[in-house]
Amino acid sequence: MGKLDRQRVKESSLQAVKPAKASIPEYDSSERSAVMVHRRPNFFYHLHPPTLPARESRFGYTFGLGGISLLLFLALGVTGVLEMFIYLPTLADAAASVRQIAYLAPFGWLLRNMHYWAGQMMVGTVILHMARVVLSGGYKGRRSNWLIGMALLALTLLLDFTGYVLRWDQDTAWALVMGTNLVNAIPGIGPALYRLLIGGQTVGQATLLRFYAWHVLGLALVATVLIVWHSFRVRRDGGISHRKSAPGPAPRVGREQLVRTEAIAALLTLAALVGLSVLVNAPLGPAANLSVLMTAEPRAPWFFLWIQELLRSAPVFLAGVLAPLAVFTLLSVLPYALDRGPAGVGEWFNRPGRLAQGVFLALVLAVIALTARGLLR
Amino acid sequence: MSLRSERTVAAAAIVLAVVLLAAWGRQARQPAAKQIIPTLTNRPELCLTCHDGIEEISASHPVAAFGCTTCHGGDGLALDADLAHTGMYGGRNPADLAVADVACGGAKCHSGDPAAGRDHIQRVNTSIQATYAGAIAQVRHTFGAQPDLTARMGVHAVQSDRPPSAEAVASLAAFVAHPTDPPPLQQFAANCLTCHLAAQPIAAPYFYRATGCAACHVLYDTDGLYRGGDPSISRTEPGHASAHRLTTAIPYSQCDHCHNRGNYNLPRMAFIARTDLPAPADADAPARRLAEYYQPIGQFTRCEWELDCVDCHTAQEAMGDGHIYSNQADAQDTQCLTCHGTLSEPPKLATITDPNDIALRQAQVNGKYALQVGDQVVVTERGEKLGHVRWSGDHLALTMKATGQTYRVPLVQGTACEQKPDEQASRYCHACHDHELPAP
Repeated sequence: MGKLDRQRVKESSLQAVKPAKASIPEYDSSERSAVMVHRRPNFFYHLHPPTLPARESRFGYTFGLGGISLLLFLALGVTGVLEMFIYLPTLADAAASVRQIAYLAPFGWLLRNMHYWAGQMMVGTVILHMARVVLSGGYKGRRSNWLIGMALLALTLLLDFTGYVLRWDQDTAWALVMGTNLVNAIPGIGPALYRLLIGGQTVGQATLLRFYAWHVLGLALVATVLIVWHSFRVRRDGGISHRKSAPGPAPRVGREQLVRTEAIAALLTLAALVGLSVLVNAPLGPAANLSVLMTAEPRAPWFFLWIQELLRSAPVFLAGVLAPLAVFTLLSVLPYALDRGPAGVGEWFNRPGRLAQGVFLALVLAVIALTARGLLR
Repeated sequence: MSLRSERTVAAAAIVLAVVLLAAWGRQARQPAAKQIIPTLTNRPELCLTCHDGIEEISASHPVAAFGCTTCHGGDGLALDADLAHTGMYGGRNPADLAVADVACGGAKCHSGDPAAGRDHIQRVNTSIQATYAGAIAQVRHTFGAQPDLTARMGVHAVQSDRPPSAEAVASLAAFVAHPTDPPPLQQFAANCLTCHLAAQPIAAPYFYRATGCAACHVLYDTDGLYRGGDPSISRTEPGHASAHRLTTAIPYSQCDHCHNRGNYNLPRMAFIARTDLPAPADADAPARRLAEYYQPIGQFTRCEWELDCVDCHTAQEAMGDGHIYSNQADAQDTQCLTCHGTLSEPPKLATITDPNDIALRQAQVNGKYALQVGDQVVVTERGEKLGHVRWSGDHLALTMKATGQTYRVPLVQGTACEQKPDEQASRYCHACHDHELPAP
């Protein structure tokens, strides 16, 4: 029997609903220990439970969005560390060092483009991951991990915004001035918080250094810890959230299959990331000069455009601080206030979660509509 | 084959490998950056990566000291053409009068001390070529908008910082035609403000030129094609200087891009370009010069078609002396007698004594004639020393600024010239000395 034949046999046994095991009421732990005696799982296998619910480990259920986000985060870490070897967070040299990365360092353009595009893609995959979890009831019974996920969403956006600022061109510097000014609108503690944030009375050297420190260490470290925790919670909760309603044991598959799916998704995601980076350069504008007056209206990064749109028609504190906080809070309390029960987990558009899904979709549609309006300006 | 087999993993790995190869290919095609660190700025610039082979703009502006961005602005560290060229002063031409203050100005450069003659930009803005004051005054007077020919308006508002003088006005307002002005004046405003240093050139052979300082100091060929060494500048697209070079050795053909290019139809307020160009191919140099430069209505004497315009129309006359004159005649300082003298007087001479004399700097920048302390040179009525017209022991010698060719200047004194002492304008000289073409 050739290797391929063996593989086919192995696959067919994994893919099928495993009729032999279907009659076993509980997963046979003796079989598991037998496997472990024969072959100690390697690191990647070890990160997964030995077996997983077959239905929910299909790519079509999760679309690999959590894993892809994790991969992008790792890519951001690697390319970011390499960029740190050149980038200088000073008013005099920031723009020049960005140009050194973009134009002079061998493969510097690739690093910068990958870092940029991975950051953009991650905002997308993280939000889609959240949407999948909401719409398939994945948060049910895992409310603490939902909160960790919410924190990771906030961290992703803050990491993107601080990174956007480090580019230090005309657009991003004025977006920084405008964005940080929102803090000033908070009654009472606003001005103090603002000074803490930008490191003085006006945006300048201290601001750049602070945003750099937040970007490469402060936020990145917290995000790393929370991502590990987030993944650990999934692993500890028995892998991917899955349907419990069907009578009898759900069919399960071995982790080898999931790891293979993940490998394919990872390779193709990397290929897409590198391909995009080869074809489309990350934006770069004229070096920031805060001593001249702003000539054009600065544009927020796309994921904050909806806030910029709100700011056009509402008071600063309301539109720039309260509204984003309200959206974030509402999302965070979904499993606490709108859909507390465990029923419907693992089911797309499950009935008990309709209210939560409706609120979520309404928020998403509102944000998308405002973003589109901002993009079309 | 299952979508999740190891084969699919291998296929995905191959896709990634192909994309990585594409990345490698892009890196391999990147041009090797060519970096300079100009001594004046000490900031690296990469412009020469693409503009490799461009001519040094002039000996006075060595690229090793100035680099590119000192004069041109832009983003010297960007290798992306769009970004690199963002924020350039005046696009291709930093010497446009709208940006010359930023690009060419500065206390140590061309908006410096008037006493040292370094206030070029302020002076140019007062000059008749920049204000167009003469034409505006003439037309406004003709159509009854002002009672005399004294200039009141220019294409831009300007004030003189010089002490008042009898021939000059203190300031000009910006010229705009009012709805109550006679229709010809409104047509003039709409059609005719095209012949000054800030006006955009007509995009046609003979008319190709730059604006501002570069209108005179950067030479354009008749066909407007670039003939220099910068591989990134088109050689087939007209509208480029012939080379990236500043010069004070300005041949008559450069002045030709604006002057004597056609006639004005006053009833229609329209410009009618000449149709008698180019000169016949078999014309010899003086005949070609006469044909190309002069229209067949004028009278001209030999030095006017053998010398270049800049040999008589001095720096202060063409670029302004800081005073605002009402017209070209008031601005003009050089007459026939400046070099030839009169029956009773030799030309006025002055000795160069100050090693910082502007005339010495002009000679050094021009490079076609030599001048040193102790030399005696012709001096104009208003006191401008003409370094290229020098007393050479026993005779007066003029060296052409554009070609370096030297002429012995004939003096009136002691000849049989029939001039009257009070008739020194060129038209009186032309009565006898018309054309003086060599016999065919």
